Amino acid sequence: MKKIAAIAWKDVRSTVRNVPALVMMLVAPLALAALLGFAFGGGASFEIAATKVAVANGDTGSPGSPTAAGCMVAGLLESPDLSDVLRVRRVADAAAARKAVDDGDVAVAVVIPADFSRVVFGDDPDATSEVELYENPTSEIGGSIVEGVVGQVLADLNGARAAAAGAVALRSDRAGDPPAARVAAAAAETFSRGGGTASALRITQRAPRVGKTENEVSVTGAVLAGMMVFFMFFGAANVARTILTEDRDGTLPRLFTTPTRHGTIIAGKFVSVFLTVLLQAVVLLIAGRLIFGIHWGRIDAVALLTLAAAGVAGGLALLIISFTRNAAQAGAVGSGIYLVLALLGGNFTGTAQTSGVFAVVQRLTPNGWLIRGWDATLRGGGAGDIRWQLLVTLGFAAAFFVLAVLRMRRRFA
Amino acid sequence: MSIVEVRDLRKQYDPPKGVLAVDGVSFAIAEGEIFSLLGPNGAGKSTTISMLSCLLKPTGGDAVIGGHSIIRDPQAVKEIIGVVPQDVALYPDMSARENLLFWGRMYGLSGDGLKTRVDEVLELIALVDRQKDRIEKYSGGMKRRVNIGVALLHKPRVLYLDEPTVGIDPQSRRSILDGILALRDQGMTILYTTHYMAEAQELSDRIGIVDHGKMIALGTHEELVRIVGEQARVAARVDRDLDGMVARWRETPGVEQADLEGNEAILLTEDADEVLPRLFEAAAAAGSRITEINVSEPNLEMVFLHLTGRALRE
Repeated sequence: MKKIAAIAWKDVRSTVRNVPALVMMLVAPLALAALLGFAFGGGASFEIAATKVAVANGDTGSPGSPTAAGCMVAGLLESPDLSDVLRVRRVADAAAARKAVDDGDVAVAVVIPADFSRVVFGDDPDATSEVELYENPTSEIGGSIVEGVVGQVLADLNGARAAAAGAVALRSDRAGDPPAARVAAAAAETFSRGGGTASALRITQRAPRVGKTENEVSVTGAVLAGMMVFFMFFGAANVARTILTEDRDGTLPRLFTTPTRHGTIIAGKFVSVFLTVLLQAVVLLIAGRLIFGIHWGRIDAVALLTLAAAGVAGGLALLIISFTRNAAQAGAVGSGIYLVLALLGGNFTGTAQTSGVFAVVQRLTPNGWLIRGWDATLRGGGAGDIRWQLLVTLGFAAAFFVLAVLRMRRRFA
Repeated sequence: MSIVEVRDLRKQYDPPKGVLAVDGVSFAIAEGEIFSLLGPNGAGKSTTISMLSCLLKPTGGDAVIGGHSIIRDPQAVKEIIGVVPQDVALYPDMSARENLLFWGRMYGLSGDGLKTRVDEVLELIALVDRQKDRIEKYSGGMKRRVNIGVALLHKPRVLYLDEPTVGIDPQSRRSILDGILALRDQGMTILYTTHYMAEAQELSDRIGIVDHGKMIALGTHEELVRIVGEQARVAARVDRDLDGMVARWRETPGVEQADLEGNEAILLTEDADEVLPRLFEAAAAAGSRITEINVSEPNLEMVFLHLTGRALRE
């Protein structure tokens, strides 16, 4: 154990003394996060791709009314003016809409209830109806757009109901049609009396994964999480490459001439990779908090996610090292692999794309799971909310580690 | 009493058709002896050291170091050997002291015992004043001294030195050779490899000459020189037609062997004083002029030439 600690400590100290390596591991992710954060407005969330929406219109209409109010809501969401931000498809019922969100096919489901038109066009002043928004919490601004559009329609309908109620009340008081100004005043009074939470038509929001405690995710936080994961892979590779440089420089063979078992030497290397990447992540997390004011989330989730990320980064780095001949080859091969994984995993794009082929591909990479984990953690999710992200990431780490050990045992036998 | 016994040691890379780097080498080293393996580059010296260090597995034979087989009990062998590799194998971004502390831990030392031993080794390699400087700032000779110091940390019974003086200045070389003799005087057994004849001659109690993976001669310096008798070695250069001169000198009375080596002729003779005038006469008769001539008394290089037909430095 002492020898493992000695090897690990020696490597960690060498990395800390290596200024170019430190710049790559710490300064680069912070600088990129700062640049992208400022470019996209720092604290505001943003969305680039059109948000996919499923609409379940269960509105059965109202007797005597020529139009179902639910069609108005669905029609507005499908209007060409919103086609660049919303991609809407109709589904049969509420269950199908929610399932589409759960499966990751769409980001938001809009469920219009059966009594919607009856409440809108009915004459019961106490009747209420709720349009449900079922939303994936990892979708960024898409949910807000849908909420805004639906909310606007409901506000208009509430206003119309109030105007109608006001006119009816005035006509019942006096004979003849009242002047328009008096109708408007009565409508406003009715609307304000019933405004806010007491409106007849309301939106209810539900999220399938993270509940009501979720936070707003800052652009800088999301970007730094992506950059941190990306550069942790490079940090791990940097330390793991010392196995090859030591082999080239003769210190590894010399270690093998000491009464230190091969397994101990390799274990020391593994520990040094893990500790270095862990240190890198801790520094980035603290720097993100102090410099950018990022609220990373609950400590249990942050700690577990960081450990899992260090594990998978270390495992992959060692696996790549075990198959490459020299440090230069490892650098070239490793960089390519890390870049592809980052592109596929969403290190540069976040979790905006929650459906389709890209979403599936994201789930094939450790990066994708880590990014999803960080997204949920940044929104306030706890360890329980990211259990699948953690388990899958640790599964990747274990697989990489076992393969690397088997390969290295053969190589340095 | 032998502390090292090497029996028919073989190493073939990528058998059965690969290079046979070591071909049935056998020798023994007595406790407290300096034994040198002398041979040109590629002779198999470093491969032999690597097998005796338990770095490479032999494809045949065995060696017993301090009673432990390198094949069956490599861990025990590693406890009693110290290895100084041919190239400096240290961490350049760490100081000499940090290097020694790290390597000491790898040899199982710890605590105050480790610190005390590091201080002793720093004294031994005369680097107390520069112990906190990073290795990358050291001269070649200083690096070599630390390289040796690492192998001494655990006070090994047997020390392997694989060409430890390659590429360093004469002063550092002298310092290293004196240090090796001092270690021998303290009772340490030393296996030394070199392609420098003078080093082998100066240091060694016994010498094994290796070529193409085989041990071609083994004995004390005096025993080995006796192989070529009392012959002197004459190296001569002429201004034209060296090939023709070598053929003429081969026929000259008193010349027992004449060979062409690069741009000079190498002649072996029992009596250099008698032969030298004849060489000048033969050159003049052939219309050539001798531009340079050197006479060497019998030595290990001549032994190697005698046994292989090639110079040691080739």
